[in-house]
Amino acid sequence: MSIAAWICLLAPLGGALAITLLGELVPRRIAGLVATGSVAVAFAAAVVLFVTVLGRDGEERQELTTAWNWLSVGDLDVGLSLLVDPLSIMMALIVAGVGSLIVAYSIGYMAADDEERRFFAYMALFVFSMLLLVLAGNFLILLAGWGLVGLSSYLLIGFHHERPSAIAAAKKAFIMNAVGDATMALAFFLLVYETGTLDFVTAFERVDGLSSTVVNLVALGLLGGAVAKSAQIPLHTWLPDAMEGPTPVSALIHAATMVTAGVYLIVRAHPLFEAAPSVQDLAAGLGAVTIVVAGLIALVQTDIKRVIAYSTMSQIGYMFLAAGIGAYANGMFHLMTHAFFKALLFLAAGVVIHALVGEQDMRKMGGLRRLMPRTWIAMLIGGLALVGLPPLSGFFSKDSILASALATGDTYGYVLFAAGLFGALLTGIYTFRMLFIVFTGEPSGFVREHLHTEHGEGPRWMTAPVAVLAALAVVGGAVQIAGIWHPLADFLDSIVAADRESLALVEPTVTQDWVTSILAVGAGLLGIGVAWLIYGARRVAAPRMVALRNPLERKLYFDELYQTVFYYPAVGIARGWTRFVEGPLIGGSISGVAGATRGLGRGVGQAQTGFLRTYALAIAAGLAVLAMVFVSVR
Amino acid sequence: MGNVIVWIVWLAALFGCIGSGVAVVSMTNPFYSAIALIGNLGSLAVFFLLLQAEFVAAAQVLVYAGAVMVMFLFVIAYLGGQADAPWAGGSSWQRWAAVIAASALLLEIIMVIGLKAGGRLSDEAEVREAFGSPGDIGRLFLTDHLLAFEITSIVLLVAAIGGVVLGAHSRQSEPRYEGPAGVPVSRERSLPPESVAATPHDASGAGVPG
Amino acid sequence: MNGPDVTWYLAVAGVLFATGALGVLLRRSPLIVLLSLEIMLNGANLALIAFARQQGDLDGQIFALAVMAVAASEVVVGLGLIVAMARRRLVLDVDELTTLRG
Repeated sequence: MSIAAWICLLAPLGGALAITLLGELVPRRIAGLVATGSVAVAFAAAVVLFVTVLGRDGEERQELTTAWNWLSVGDLDVGLSLLVDPLSIMMALIVAGVGSLIVAYSIGYMAADDEERRFFAYMALFVFSMLLLVLAGNFLILLAGWGLVGLSSYLLIGFHHERPSAIAAAKKAFIMNAVGDATMALAFFLLVYETGTLDFVTAFERVDGLSSTVVNLVALGLLGGAVAKSAQIPLHTWLPDAMEGPTPVSALIHAATMVTAGVYLIVRAHPLFEAAPSVQDLAAGLGAVTIVVAGLIALVQTDIKRVIAYSTMSQIGYMFLAAGIGAYANGMFHLMTHAFFKALLFLAAGVVIHALVGEQDMRKMGGLRRLMPRTWIAMLIGGLALVGLPPLSGFFSKDSILASALATGDTYGYVLFAAGLFGALLTGIYTFRMLFIVFTGEPSGFVREHLHTEHGEGPRWMTAPVAVLAALAVVGGAVQIAGIWHPLADFLDSIVAADRESLALVEPTVTQDWVTSILAVGAGLLGIGVAWLIYGARRVAAPRMVALRNPLERKLYFDELYQTVFYYPAVGIARGWTRFVEGPLIGGSISGVAGATRGLGRGVGQAQTGFLRTYALAIAAGLAVLAMVFVSVR
Repeated sequence: MGNVIVWIVWLAALFGCIGSGVAVVSMTNPFYSAIALIGNLGSLAVFFLLLQAEFVAAAQVLVYAGAVMVMFLFVIAYLGGQADAPWAGGSSWQRWAAVIAASALLLEIIMVIGLKAGGRLSDEAEVREAFGSPGDIGRLFLTDHLLAFEITSIVLLVAAIGGVVLGAHSRQSEPRYEGPAGVPVSRERSLPPESVAATPHDASGAGVPG
Repeated sequence: MNGPDVTWYLAVAGVLFATGALGVLLRRSPLIVLLSLEIMLNGANLALIAFARQQGDLDGQIFALAVMAVAASEVVVGLGLIVAMARRRLVLDVDELTTLRG
């Protein structure tokens, strides 16, 4: 099993290295095939791992494989180790599976770009980094994967580096992630100090012995990292800007995988979070806030990709909510289905963008339903899954989360439930707003001019993965149907310790399940109805509501807030230091030394009068002094 | 009786010595200074004789007064009017400092021999008759101080070569003509074009214009 | 040997030395400077001979002879320099030779 794990991890890295080293020696298409192939190999290895693990039970299902002892300092030993257990296998399957589909899609999408090879190298690097993150056996390797993922994201967002907006967006993403990285690092320091280890297994065993302050701090630090990586409020401002990257990047990194790393972290470190219940509640609360806020902002977006981006933010909020209340399996379930339908949405949107030669503004689109019927169907499926209508996958996963919120039984849980419901309503509105604007009505002038569908809606490399994802979005929910069968939960349960029955902290009753589903579906349908009224049938004009609209269009002024609080003071301090410290002190001291030396030289040079007699006088005087010394010392 | 004569001779030599010394330093005309120096050397030779350094006294008169001073006089004669010697000039603080330094030196010497050395300097050693004779000196030069002897001869050789080089009449370093600006130009510097025509004149020129 | 003590000779030597020093420091003509230098050397010679007599050791006289030889060499070179200076029509004034200034 360990060999499969290493193959799974290293295949994409090998692909990235191969593409980098071969460079322009191979045709561009080959680079894409190498990348896709390497990720597909990783997927195959993950499948092997999955099958192997299925054949075992309980404790046997987790295996730690260490390549070598990487860091040995005092009592701390950190090895280069991979942990293969149901949770990591599930993540690996998602990452490698969806990843290979998206990389295949990119072969068609990026065919026109001159720097295609660089793109595929970066994509393969990203998959490797993400796999490193999910397969890590201790916090340090996880941090390494975390950082590499951030790097790949930066490289891919800024892929079109001739665009200043892309570069700025890449920097923004990286810096915000760095904030999270910092809190995580602090948490790790504390963890090492208190428990003396970074291994998952060992650290979690020692959690009981820690004081509550320590556990809270560690959990808080981890939460900070998760919030940054998953673009939850308040560290969310980078995600919409990250849409500057090519669409496959948005699909892979900012929908299916990287942004879910935060959720994975919370689920992986759940013993820590369970020992710090207030932090866990905070996580759930942040998730709920993000669900609502992101949903609201999505209502006024005009860029098709940004709508989907805010939708991603909102859906991850659901996952945070689930992790925060202890419904880990449900959260992971939603993570999986979300990967399917969100990637589907992004890729289908990519087909539209590709057909419209790069245009992303929805207001210029319209009436594409008849011109691109297959894409329309795909996006419709994705949209319905997102809103959570049965029998599509999103229904099962989202409702299970809401039911768990209801099942917690306390007021806080009810508040979370209400937020989730409201989020479902908003999801319906903004998703179908997008769909109606883009696909219904009459084709706009822009569309008539630029749309080229003579060769089908898109190259086959692009349409095939979309079809696969659409199929997954439909049937993916079958893995866990509330109340009837839950193989996924059982699968993940096997990672818990012996004294616990199941992984989840809450277990909704059948009644709660039904109530939730009815309410959630109702909210979704209501949202779709509202969207149809305003944007579909155009019976009702979109409400102006300037007072609400302006803040939403300005994304609730988060960017301005951060600029004022962080950027301006930092720049001011830097300028102040340059003017008052670096200039006078450092530069001044150096030039002062130079000036002093010069002055000293000039002063001493006064002795070189050039007069012979002065020199002779100096000799005589020196002689007199010496004689005096000799006489007195005797 | 012999003592009185010694003292008288000593005093005479003293005056001659000090007087000529002051004269050397203070005369304006270098010719007179050179003559005064010869007087000084003579007085010193008397002192040497009183100190039983006969050979040195003879050498002093022969070499110093005879050869070195003659050389001095030759040069002064050669330089002629150019040798007019300005008296002390320069900044006054230098003058005072010079006086102070010289006085300090003198004072220290007096102090040492008067106070510090105490009575030790008064003990004279007993010397034989042949003390200071050429024979003794010659023996020492060829046995104990052979190295000093040889090195001194090398120094003299080097000085002789130096003197020849310095006085060499080479054409390269001679200012023969005046360049365009009226400044004497020597050949080794870059020639202005118009003076190239003057070159043949160089080749035929013999003596220094002076 | 009767007559003044060695101390007196040493005092004379000191006076000679100081006088010569004054001459070197105060005069501007290089010729006079060379002559004053000779005065100083003679003062030193006198001191050497006096000490030789006092110690009964001939080494002092040998040293004095060596000094004389070196003084002669130095005079040769010095006079050569002065002649060279005169040939180049330089002013024979040590205060004018300030190329070493700086």
